[in-house]
Amino acid sequence: MFLTLLKRELMLARRNWVAVLIPLFFFVIVVSLFPFAVSPEAEFLQQIAAGVVWVAALLAVLLSLDLFYRGDFQDGSLEQLLIMASPIQVALSKVTAHWLVTGLPLVLISPLLAGLMHLNYAPNGAVEMNHTPIMMLSLLLGTPTMCLLGAIGMSLSLAASRNGMLVAVMILPLYVPILIFGSSVITASLANSGYNAQIAILAAILLFALVLTPYTTGKALKVAVS
Amino acid sequence: MSSKQSEPSSYNLEVKGLTISRNEQPLLEDTDLSFNAGSITHLFGENGAGKTSLMRALAGLLPLDSGQILWNQIKNTHPESNFNQDLLFLAHNLAMKHELSIAENLQFYSILRGRKSSLEELSKVAAELQIENLLERHFSDLSAGQQHKVALCRLVLETVKLWVLDEPFVNLDAKTRDWLSAKMMHFAKEGGVVIFTSHQAIEGLKIHQRISLSHSEEEAA
Amino acid sequence: MASFSKTAGRWFHQLGSPKWFYQKSVKWLPWLWISCLALFAFGLYYSLWASPVDYQQGNSVRIMYIHVPTAVLSMVAYLAMAVCAVIGMVWKMKMSFMAMRALAPIGAAFTLICLFTGSLWGIPTWGTWWEWDARMTSELVLLFLYLGFIALHSSFSDRTKADNAAAILAIVGAINIPIIYGSVKWWNTLHQAYSVTKKGAIDPQMQTPLFIMIAAFYVLFIILVIIRLRLEIMNREAKAKWLQQEVGLGQESNAGANG
Repeated sequence: MFLTLLKRELMLARRNWVAVLIPLFFFVIVVSLFPFAVSPEAEFLQQIAAGVVWVAALLAVLLSLDLFYRGDFQDGSLEQLLIMASPIQVALSKVTAHWLVTGLPLVLISPLLAGLMHLNYAPNGAVEMNHTPIMMLSLLLGTPTMCLLGAIGMSLSLAASRNGMLVAVMILPLYVPILIFGSSVITASLANSGYNAQIAILAAILLFALVLTPYTTGKALKVAVS
Repeated sequence: MSSKQSEPSSYNLEVKGLTISRNEQPLLEDTDLSFNAGSITHLFGENGAGKTSLMRALAGLLPLDSGQILWNQIKNTHPESNFNQDLLFLAHNLAMKHELSIAENLQFYSILRGRKSSLEELSKVAAELQIENLLERHFSDLSAGQQHKVALCRLVLETVKLWVLDEPFVNLDAKTRDWLSAKMMHFAKEGGVVIFTSHQAIEGLKIHQRISLSHSEEEAA
Repeated sequence: MASFSKTAGRWFHQLGSPKWFYQKSVKWLPWLWISCLALFAFGLYYSLWASPVDYQQGNSVRIMYIHVPTAVLSMVAYLAMAVCAVIGMVWKMKMSFMAMRALAPIGAAFTLICLFTGSLWGIPTWGTWWEWDARMTSELVLLFLYLGFIALHSSFSDRTKADNAAAILAIVGAINIPIIYGSVKWWNTLHQAYSVTKKGAIDPQMQTPLFIMIAAFYVLFIILVIIRLRLEIMNREAKAKWLQQEVGLGQESNAGANG
């Protein structure tokens, strides 16, 4: 059942491939604006790289939620899915598809942004360290949590009359913990200090969200179609 | 009045003490209804009387203020009632994806029912509704009437026991209307339960029970 | 034991009835106002004149007597909102959802006052009106949660949906608050250089007025919740006969009042 639902979500995403790529463009464009706004100096960009990449990833995930929920709600498919499958399965299939189509590509494209933000910059003479894999790992653990939490907000706002910004206003405060630990992983790596604790906490938050949010999202979806 | 069909069956949908409301306006209060196997029920009433809300409540989508819905004597929300597997609910919106072809749309729903319909089955029902050439086309390429026909194909392709159909006859040509009436009568004869709403009377459709919904007495009180 | 659960059950039942609450609460309000004013009079006198001046902070420490109670209540209000949300979802109690809705703006207001007084306090003590201190940052996030809740609740045309959706958000938020607080605190210790420890052990001479002020604010909070809840009831039960009679609308009640 779950696989059937997931296959459908992925098929729909494939047919909408342009819409699926937009969040990735958005991610790259937002990050590339920072050098214009602040300074193109490598040393400076390196310092803000972690925060910029993480915030841009958060926004990209939030903006891409619509694609996976809005259409099904509007054309009545969502209520059919909820009649024929359990709400948890519907929620999980949507979150999984959303992550595979948006979250994972964000992780994969992030080395490009690491380059733009001079993440691996080293002053003259110093040995260049490669922080990119650590950044990818932090995003790999963080993006699924973003998708899981975002799904709750999206489902809640489906039946609301005003939306757009509503999801962001509801969900962004809940992103504070992963933003703190996620970007701190990168900062710690830059400072050559340990980051295992942060990685462990990110993973713990992910597991916690994985256990609790699909049920909540299912409830919220039921409210949306009621 | 419900007249029992020749084939006895245990399927029945019972509504006890149902109270539902929309925007805190009560639509039905403490209502008992019963829908037996082999019966076709026509729900009618003015716009805003709560037909659609009642249909959505019967489909388990709209939460009840009070009362319960029993499917074969078991609460419809209980997994053992098998209610969700036995129910086919067709609403105003057709619940078809514009990005997918007709065949993909219909097959997806049949997979969720546990058995993927074959291409032969699809072409057979599509031929009955004169849309057999469109199976590979995207849903968005079809005219409104054709899209409606696609949704009706689900009635044939999915094996269920209860049809809850919200305005299924609206915007149908005469030929399709007859086809749908025939399908409904056939389904009832096999022991299914049919509940539908319609503004107009349907010629040639044998109806066993009529339920009229009017604005509740609340306004007058 | 049996009688206790019976009494509790009756209370639960009565609290669930808007009519019972509406009629009874009007009798509670005068007593609550009296105790509230008495507590404030005593508490303000004690805290503004009778309590000692802080040897480091001088008179500015007196902001604490408003800042701390509002901080306590901003969190209590959110917790109460989440409890109401759970009760409303599980027992489908309409009154509970009304209370939840009534609590939100009050909680948001207390959070705002807490942030504002915190800023005022920050100018003389830290030399800046905003510091990314763990507690203040958490309060800020709490304010965002309140605003998100209010925004969500008010963007539905159907009140039942609004209640259910907002209840889910309140519960999700309540589960997240400890996680947010924990992470902000951790983040704060990471940036130790910027943070200032606000206070050590509190002088007993300051403790007493502080407790009185907390009690006073608690009573004020309860009064505000009752008033808002009554408004919420009037809003939602506008068509109910008992309410129309209560406020003197409708012919029957007019005739009754004259007779």
